[in-house]
Amino acid sequence: MQKIMIIEDEPAVREELAFLLENEGYKPLAVTEFHNAAEKVRASAPDLILLDLGLPGRDGLSICAAIRRESSIPIIFVTSRDSTVDELKALSMGGDDYITKPYNIPVLLARIKTVLRRSGGMGEQELIEACGMKLNLTKGVVSADGKTVELSRNELQILAYLMSHAGEIVSRADLIDALWDSRIYIDDNTLSVNMTRLRGRLEELGMAGCIKTRRGMGYQL
Amino acid sequence: MTFCEFLSDHLNQIVLQGLALAVSALFLLSTGTQPGVVALLSLVLLLIFSAAQAAEFWKRKRRLEELYAVMEGLDQKYLFSECVPLPRETYERRLFDLMGRSGRAMIGAVSNAQAAQREYREYIESWVHEIKAPITAAGLICNHAEPKLRRRLLQELGQIESHVERALFYARAESPEKDILIRQVALKEIGDQAIASHRALLIQSGIQVETEGLEQRVYTDEKWAVFILSQLLQNAARYRREHPADEPNAGEGAVTDKPDAGGEQNPRIRLKARTLGKLVQLEVSDNGMGIAAHELPRVFDRGFTGSNGRSRGGSTGMGLYLCRRLAGSLELEIEIRSREGEGTAVTLTFPAREIRQE
Repeated sequence: MQKIMIIEDEPAVREELAFLLENEGYKPLAVTEFHNAAEKVRASAPDLILLDLGLPGRDGLSICAAIRRESSIPIIFVTSRDSTVDELKALSMGGDDYITKPYNIPVLLARIKTVLRRSGGMGEQELIEACGMKLNLTKGVVSADGKTVELSRNELQILAYLMSHAGEIVSRADLIDALWDSRIYIDDNTLSVNMTRLRGRLEELGMAGCIKTRRGMGYQL
Repeated sequence: MTFCEFLSDHLNQIVLQGLALAVSALFLLSTGTQPGVVALLSLVLLLIFSAAQAAEFWKRKRRLEELYAVMEGLDQKYLFSECVPLPRETYERRLFDLMGRSGRAMIGAVSNAQAAQREYREYIESWVHEIKAPITAAGLICNHAEPKLRRRLLQELGQIESHVERALFYARAESPEKDILIRQVALKEIGDQAIASHRALLIQSGIQVETEGLEQRVYTDEKWAVFILSQLLQNAARYRREHPADEPNAGEGAVTDKPDAGGEQNPRIRLKARTLGKLVQLEVSDNGMGIAAHELPRVFDRGFTGSNGRSRGGSTGMGLYLCRRLAGSLELEIEIRSREGEGTAVTLTFPAREIRQE
């Protein structure tokens, strides 16, 4: 389990963030005293640090500098200051990324994932298997029983989401949310059109009925 | 100063000199001086008087020209009395002293007002930063709520956030040079950020966003451009029509549920970029309510809400006003076209690329 240290002075944000990260499968370490943050980093050796810029008593930038003196643990700045100068200063101090509050949660999680991957923490998940199908995200193809079909970008993202939540009921709103996360900005009707096309593709594989429609609730793989 | 103005100012002096001349001439004549001598004497005196008046006229004219030149050259006109060369005449010096006192009082008042405005701006900025912490916390807490409630709360939080953001940019627009940093940015990046900042509103409104040609790169300030674009997206979402294709079909009836018209029937926003020589144009168009022709010229005015804004409520009349102010600071051209009942298109023209980047 990857450890993420949260250096944040706002108690509500700190606790909720810790809770969120725990649910996402990380091990959060919340720091409440900031003057010796660098020693705490040394003691607990986290995989990633979320660092607030505006801390009471001590500036986030100076903490970043103190951490950088002894280690290259990836640091993501999280701040409500959003002037360009602040951002440049933070990145030039050795921060790996910079997110402004209020952040939306999927974006924050995606940034965390990206930074962790860049630092060599984990490889990109490019193959999803579920219901006897193999989905290759990098090639954009799905295969079953030795047959392979190509998917469009939209179809690929829909199937990926359904397969990574195999067995669960996925509502249309969840699907639209997930697609917007992948920068596909579609509405309900277009989702229906894409869903029909995706089912057509899966039919070519002989997996026609694998996406079930649960009336009034959504879809289920 | 014209000669006539000078004459009218010195009329009584001139009349007095003429009278004195006439009286002395009469006196000399009556005491037996020869008329030729009197005439010669009068002529000489007249010449001397005129020469003195003319000299006075030139002197004043030159002095005024000098003062006007000082005024023209001044950046802050109210500093005039501090910058003029001091007069030699006591009377004029007194006048300048009065003017100087009034000027200094004005300078004091102006600098107090500037300081108050600067403090207010700083307060707004720090307030905005403070309010963001609880908004962030509330957003995280929403995660505990069941999905339907969460989406609605997130949409409301999104609204709060965009109002807050508007206050921040309003404060920043006062002194743009402090915040603008022009860099090369991909339009895609600007578009994605703007969409992400209002995604709850857009999804809830059932809007589909289409993008085209956004791989273009432009030179601009990313944050400001994102702010402008997100105002436009918000407007498009607010002033959408629930069933955009109703009217054209009304006559024929019968045809419902056309299979491939999905994109046309629902509210949609299109972000489309194209190059015009060295300029890059980004067009944001929607198929919403549109704006009445007679209201169109005023939509960028401060506080103008229009009939759409009034009928829907909650309109502040600040969004487009701020867009144009910020666009002005970024040297972005902003134009709006609209047809009532069909939709609106706003075009942003980004300035020419820097030559050294060729």
